[in-house]
Amino acid sequence: MLARPNIDEKPARIDWVLVCALLGLMVLGAMFIHSARYATESGAGVPWFKQYHFKQIIYYAMGLGAMAAMCVIPYQTLVRWSYVAYWGSILLLVLVLIPHIGAMRFGARRWIDLGVFQLQPSEIAKIAFILALGNFLARPLDELKLPVIFWRALGMLGLPFAFIFVEPDLGSALVLIPTGFVMMFVAGIPANYLRRFLGGAALIVVLILVDVLFAPPNWRFKLEDYQRRRLLVYFGMDAKHFAPPDATAAELQKARIQERNDSYNVEQALISVGSGGLTGKGWRQGTQNVLGYLPRAVAHNDFIFSVLAEESGFVGSVVVLSLYAVVLFAGIRIAGQARDRLGKMMAAGVVTLLFSHMFINIGMNIRLMPVTGVPLPLLSYGGTSVICTLVAAGLLQNIYLHRRSY
Amino acid sequence: MLVFDQLRKQDTQLRLVAVALAGGFCILLAGLWYVQIFSSKRFSESLEDQAVRTVRIPAVRGKILDRNRQPLAENRPTYNVELYLAELGRHFQAEYQRIRPANARLTRVERERLEWTARYQVVSNITAQVGEWLQQPRVIDQRLFQRHYNEVRALPISILQNLNATQVARFAERPGVFPGLELEIQPLRVYPQTSLAAHVLGALRRDDSSQEEEDAFYHYRLPDWKGITGIEGIYDVQLRGAAGTKSMTVNRLGYRQQETVLRAPEPGDNLILTLDLKLQQAVERALHTPMFGAQTRGAAVVLDVQTGDVLAMASAPSFEPERFMGRIKDEDWAALNDPVQRPLLNRATQENYHPGSILKMLTGLAALEMEAIDPRAVFNVEADPTRPGRGCIHVGSRKIEDTAPPGPYNFKKALVHSSNAYFIHHGLKPGVLQKMIMLGEKFHLGERTGILPRQETAGEFPGQDDLVRHWQSGDTANLCIGQGKVSTSPLQMAVMTAAIANGGRVFWPRLLMRLEPADPQSTERAAEQPPRLRDDLGVKSENLRLVREAMLADVEEQGGTGREAAVPGLKIGGKTGTAEVERAGKMVDKTTWFASFAPVDQPKWAVVVMVESGASGGKTCAPVARKIYEALVKREREPGPKGAALALNN
Repeated sequence: MLARPNIDEKPARIDWVLVCALLGLMVLGAMFIHSARYATESGAGVPWFKQYHFKQIIYYAMGLGAMAAMCVIPYQTLVRWSYVAYWGSILLLVLVLIPHIGAMRFGARRWIDLGVFQLQPSEIAKIAFILALGNFLARPLDELKLPVIFWRALGMLGLPFAFIFVEPDLGSALVLIPTGFVMMFVAGIPANYLRRFLGGAALIVVLILVDVLFAPPNWRFKLEDYQRRRLLVYFGMDAKHFAPPDATAAELQKARIQERNDSYNVEQALISVGSGGLTGKGWRQGTQNVLGYLPRAVAHNDFIFSVLAEESGFVGSVVVLSLYAVVLFAGIRIAGQARDRLGKMMAAGVVTLLFSHMFINIGMNIRLMPVTGVPLPLLSYGGTSVICTLVAAGLLQNIYLHRRSY
Repeated sequence: MLVFDQLRKQDTQLRLVAVALAGGFCILLAGLWYVQIFSSKRFSESLEDQAVRTVRIPAVRGKILDRNRQPLAENRPTYNVELYLAELGRHFQAEYQRIRPANARLTRVERERLEWTARYQVVSNITAQVGEWLQQPRVIDQRLFQRHYNEVRALPISILQNLNATQVARFAERPGVFPGLELEIQPLRVYPQTSLAAHVLGALRRDDSSQEEEDAFYHYRLPDWKGITGIEGIYDVQLRGAAGTKSMTVNRLGYRQQETVLRAPEPGDNLILTLDLKLQQAVERALHTPMFGAQTRGAAVVLDVQTGDVLAMASAPSFEPERFMGRIKDEDWAALNDPVQRPLLNRATQENYHPGSILKMLTGLAALEMEAIDPRAVFNVEADPTRPGRGCIHVGSRKIEDTAPPGPYNFKKALVHSSNAYFIHHGLKPGVLQKMIMLGEKFHLGERTGILPRQETAGEFPGQDDLVRHWQSGDTANLCIGQGKVSTSPLQMAVMTAAIANGGRVFWPRLLMRLEPADPQSTERAAEQPPRLRDDLGVKSENLRLVREAMLADVEEQGGTGREAAVPGLKIGGKTGTAEVERAGKMVDKTTWFASFAPVDQPKWAVVVMVESGASGGKTCAPVARKIYEALVKREREPGPKGAALALNN
């Protein structure tokens, strides 16, 4: 599957379609973060340079810079450092778990507080993982048929997965799985390995789910309480599953309230999205968000899509989906045009990573998926997420730029 | 498809990934279509529910009227000046700009503090100006204001309450001078007779919560009251009506935009009591004995003996129910909880006392029934060797003293002079004790009368099982003279006296005559509460007559203990009592009683007076009863509807 010899003399150019789609997403991101924060910020008189949408624009600029920087060195050279990046990110993932280094927020240690910037190591680990796995799998096709390679690739996937899982950040951990497997699949690891493994894993997941949802308490698989509750909410289980079996009426009542609170975000997000209708209520006119029914702590990050969908309606949602489609299919095209298997794999990995984020996040806004704290690439507020997404896009550009060079 | 064409034909893996991606997009698209287009209407509706805040509007509380429809508790419109914060936004801004230090860089905390200061200054300035204009200075509490602003911004903040007519006029003179001010009318519970019948009426407590069968969820609630004691408490459900709901559209800053009344409140029912306002006034005045004046601790009950209607029921000292509506001052609270005076205690029902000699009515009746007493037979009371001129009786080894002199007694004389020895002697005869206990059961002594649930004590009266255990003749002797294991409330004694007067019918005392809808045009029928007979004594009317005649003699005859109660032209039958309150075997206090009925030939009323720490039943309570009878006679002479006549129509 070697690339054709390149006789085209035209200078290499970046993929402008991809860039335009990314810019479109960024414009929407800034607009709706402003909208989501408008009620809070205008009420409190926050100066413009401290408002979230402005900070997000700064992140966009930094991310675009990083994206450009990613294009400077050919990716073949870049991946030589991939193991350094991989182990570096693993180190960060360990650090974040240590109290005093990792900042505890909402019951999870996901951030390292750098003063001006909250670093989220799991985001970095995702990129590093794509680079490292690409590098690892970029070996002769015959070697990929060896089980040991498959197992080692799985190990590379499992290590960051485990660390992110214990933070706990189930969503971020989960997106690594499709990313890793798509890369292995594209790389050429025999499909029956993947099938068997995924079949086995799916069985285990189903067993765990059944266990979590139905088993008596002391037989249950240990999940964080909130994770279990989110799963119960997602599957629409009754409140009595929240409480111990010998619960008193008061405890049951408490569990009911807990259930209502748990399902509150999802309910409100659904109302936001649904009440948007075809054309939405107009920018900054969304009552759900402004009146604070959609909790203000999450409206600008995990639930930004609800704000957007409420205010711009189905039309807006389709525009967002289309922009993502342009980005992702551009990525697929780049993967197809890649000079070597390494480029193809990494492009496919980036595409899968972005797609997983988007699918889980939008899916959770319309109750297709359980609530997990996965950001919507470029739209959700958050520096690390924005920069890493743009770095990933930079990787795509890099693969595209160097599709013809040797 | 553009993407697929560019993929190399043989690159199946990438093609599969692309197909999976496209599938994912289709799922999301379908999901979004379902939520945003297909079920959009449903979500829009649930959204509408959210921008609307519901407010609970309490209903106008029903009136409490006396039997002649004179108001005992009613509602008065109060005029309050209320301030709508929504209209002050501009003023808040201006004030903030004014007090903000120029060119200073403020931290978030400082800014917030300044904003609070600005808001508070605006509001307190307006309050002060209006207060000055209406000559009712008022300072608004900063913490209260902050809480109001944070929690119920859409509702106005009440800055001046209870304006008088002049103030209302002054306020109306200057419309729109102050921003955001409105004059609101709210019904307020008033007790026009202040403390009259306070124990019967009871009191209200601030309570905005939803009642049963009402919507439980409201965003805001307007002030409402709940009856906690007395009639207000018992018939709270009927009195309070059904609260209404209004909805407020709230704009994005939480301020009120428009209002619609979704369901108008339904006013509560009016209650017609059996009380007679004028009589009640007279009874309460009478209860202020010359001995104690306003410090009197006592109770008086006037019953209609033919129906069991409570014509008046008073307990002294009293309180003002209206006091409970606002915040009670510490010293007032201390006075209300005075351990001796206990003004909140309804002494007519809530406390029980040894009845003392007035129980001799029962003892005599029982002995007559058992034919243990021959009314004409004479019993010689022996003299007490240690107290010259006083009688005594020996029961077992114990000597029981008597206040009556020694000598020969027949039934009438014994009752007139309240001879302990006579009644103990006959009470100890076989079968009399059994009969007394039976009669006690018929009179329902030791049981609640059901008049004011939770504000009534059952009292104490021996039952059959008491006789089995440790019962000695000394206990019987005590019971005969209303001491020992017997205690009753004045109301129970009134019911007993009424039954003796009316020929043996024991009534449930009736306080509520009728419940009627507030709107006289209403199709709803008034709910009559007819008198209810509880029991029949089943004693010979001849014996009752003997007791009544003896009681008449107690008031009319020379030397009778109840002489002080006599009213010219009215034949009153009465019995005095002075019960000893013993603690650890020593007498610490006295409870004085006067139980009576009139007219003897055709009984209409039973009057029972009880005063704590009095001198004696005859000296302390009989004069109170006399004043009550005078009022009754006067009431009888006056034109207009009579209680008894009305009651008989029922």
